[in-house]
Amino acid sequence: MTSRNAGALRDTAFDAAEIDRRLAAIWSTTPGVWGALATVDHKVIGRRYITTAFVFLALGGLLSLLMRLQLAQPEARFIGPDRYNQLFTMHGTNMMFLFAVPVMQAMAVYLVPLMVGTRNIAFPRLNAFSYWMYLAGGLLLWIAFVLDTGPDVGWFAYVPLSGPQYAAGKRADIWAQMITFTEVSALAVAVEIVVTVFKHRAPGMSLDRIPLFVWSMLVTSFVVILAMPAIMVASTALILDRLVETHFFNPAEGGDVLLWQHLFWFFGHPEVYIIFLPAVGMVSTIVATFTRRPVFGYLAMVMALIATGILAFGLWVHHMFVAGLPRLGESFFTASSMAIAVPAGLQIFCWLATIWAGRPIFTTPFLFAIGFIVTFVIGGLTGVMVASVPFDTQVHDTYFVVAHFHYVLVGGAVFPLLGALYYWFPKLTGRLMSETRGRWVFGLIFVGFNLTFFPMHILGLQGMPRRIYTYQPEMPWSGLNMFISLSAVILAGGFLLFFIDVIRSARTGAVASSNPWEASTLEWATSSPPPPYNFARLPVVGGLDPLSDRRDVLPVAAGLRVDRRELLVSSIVEATPEAREASSGDSIWPLLAAIATTATLIWSIFTPWAVVWGSIPIAIALIGWFWPKGVPEDES
Amino acid sequence: MTERVFSIAKSVLAVAVLLSLASAGGVLGYLRQPRELRFEPPVAADLDWFRLMSNGIGGTPPESYFALGKPYEADAYNLSQGKRLYAWFGCGTCHGDGRGGVGPSFLDGWWLYGPEMVSIVASIRDGRPHGMPAFRDRLTIEQIWQLAGYVQTIGSYSPKVAAPSRNDDKQTRPAENRGPAIILFDEGPVGVHPDQGPSP
Repeated sequence: MTSRNAGALRDTAFDAAEIDRRLAAIWSTTPGVWGALATVDHKVIGRRYITTAFVFLALGGLLSLLMRLQLAQPEARFIGPDRYNQLFTMHGTNMMFLFAVPVMQAMAVYLVPLMVGTRNIAFPRLNAFSYWMYLAGGLLLWIAFVLDTGPDVGWFAYVPLSGPQYAAGKRADIWAQMITFTEVSALAVAVEIVVTVFKHRAPGMSLDRIPLFVWSMLVTSFVVILAMPAIMVASTALILDRLVETHFFNPAEGGDVLLWQHLFWFFGHPEVYIIFLPAVGMVSTIVATFTRRPVFGYLAMVMALIATGILAFGLWVHHMFVAGLPRLGESFFTASSMAIAVPAGLQIFCWLATIWAGRPIFTTPFLFAIGFIVTFVIGGLTGVMVASVPFDTQVHDTYFVVAHFHYVLVGGAVFPLLGALYYWFPKLTGRLMSETRGRWVFGLIFVGFNLTFFPMHILGLQGMPRRIYTYQPEMPWSGLNMFISLSAVILAGGFLLFFIDVIRSARTGAVASSNPWEASTLEWATSSPPPPYNFARLPVVGGLDPLSDRRDVLPVAAGLRVDRRELLVSSIVEATPEAREASSGDSIWPLLAAIATTATLIWSIFTPWAVVWGSIPIAIALIGWFWPKGVPEDES
Repeated sequence: MTERVFSIAKSVLAVAVLLSLASAGGVLGYLRQPRELRFEPPVAADLDWFRLMSNGIGGTPPESYFALGKPYEADAYNLSQGKRLYAWFGCGTCHGDGRGGVGPSFLDGWWLYGPEMVSIVASIRDGRPHGMPAFRDRLTIEQIWQLAGYVQTIGSYSPKVAAPSRNDDKQTRPAENRGPAIILFDEGPVGVHPDQGPSP
């Protein structure tokens, strides 16, 4: 080493207890509110992210219960049409933008650095910024809704309905600006995940030794990076149309209404896979752990993940089959929509083969994985059905479609997510969730879900349109609607029990050991919950299952400094160590930058000058954020 | 100790700022939002009982109008409904896009009967000399108020927060939320207004 670093304190100089003490001193978040606001610890931010997302899940669930109450009888007077429009728009927007995507990324923020064996996520301050942006976007949407200003144009806000002529007031602008908030935060997290996976993996974790969950989050992050700009462009164009009279979507002045649908679904369809691919990773992890064997066909699984990520961009038009597109286009997108069933089917068969060959232990996470396979296959089958143009023309905008996408989204993402929460809860909190309550939760949610949503297929085939606030008693729909509303109570009861279980387990659950499931991935190599520095010494990986290959000893790397936040940079393919790098410390500037950005974005709903004047506080915040620290750059 | 108090105060401040920003957006949105789709029949009927000065210029809206919070001047939904009525009932055939034609302009800074809501409502409901027809049999009184609010919005010199934006049509002038009356107002020598009619 160079003489400049000769005096630096290395972990080779101390024994284990002293290393822990010194690392804790340098990595810990300062106690108190100020420390909580300034922290850049990926575990603290990850937990915060997950908690916030589940609060939004609960709120969105309450909205759906209100809708079911209204639809239980024909001609019900519980909710008026204007409020109902806001309800279904808020439910969809909230679930997609404030729950599903953020919660998956939040799991990655918490788990990926642990699973690849590093001490913090790449760009930790950006991570803090992304959480504050997400929180501000969520608050904006919900406060607006409480004040009777919630968006009322549907979660995909088609123009011209959402355009300047037909969406009066600021409701649609609040929707569009909320998109900006959540997409900024999603893009930030995606960049962090990609860099963490590519450059911060533990020595020896070559590409073919990356855990499947990490692979899935890597592919997801690339999909986010490629898909989200489309919706940001679209929502910005919408705000411009509404505020300063641009003509992006005005056919009379050469704009194009269909442009909105293309831009939206070019994001909107990959969005489905942004939600689904992390779930694939979760299921793979759970299945591998509880069948006591590696997932069958690792290479095939990874290839299927990548193939899904690529094909995701080739089928957005199947959302627009009734928009009157050329026949050839419709045929092409029918074929590509059916093609994506191939990698999905491959994954299903790999899991089945793993379960077949293993010795499954039917714990709650594993039950959720099974529930996922069953439900997702049903959703996939109706997906192949609506991929065909004539069938889609028949059921478009009916409850059949509502049933289909709840099967793929709840079955394909929420079930694995709940399983993953039961699975990783000890790593998140240091305590196990209740197995008894967990089985009840699974039973209630699985039964409640299928009783609620399966009849919607029938309602759709009977012609009940989606997004209607009431229907006439002459229609043959009232019996099934009442049945669905009652079943929704079972489903809601399941979720209520789940939340009770989470709160009670976090307080009084059984204390977990570092590896309660005897799993084989690196996050279980450290204590539960992990210390602020994750690993006292960074692990060295010699195989796909670092903990099961040599369960008794885990080789570690030595030589890192203990007097500053330091982690390893490794090569992309082989993960050979390349450099030691400083990781940024706590800072309040991300929060201040988020506040400045929030002010500008909300203000810009009202006047275009906000972009000009608002850029000044943003610039000040960013200058503070990036002010040179006076410490030398990292050494190789 | 003081440092700790200071840091807590700073944090509370930061959270408060974040919260207030988000709620400010919501509140500002709310100011132009409440959407009363249909008033109770007596309330709607009361809108007819405004009092006009004897020369037909200016007057007093009914008490209930203030109790409702003057919904037709500052409410986005009512203003955008007024804009639709403007198109549906052919106002443009005489008044153009607001710049006038056969009928007087709304953007030249000259209100023949004053810019007050009651004057405009009276003009639409009862008609005026020299060609303005009465719409009392074609529109409900609520619609007349909506339309009047919109007409007042086109000609207002500080664009209302709730003013509607452009339509999906050919653009002939800046939209109402861009303050067309400020941009298009011609300050040049104001001619006599023979079209004022005899009184005034």
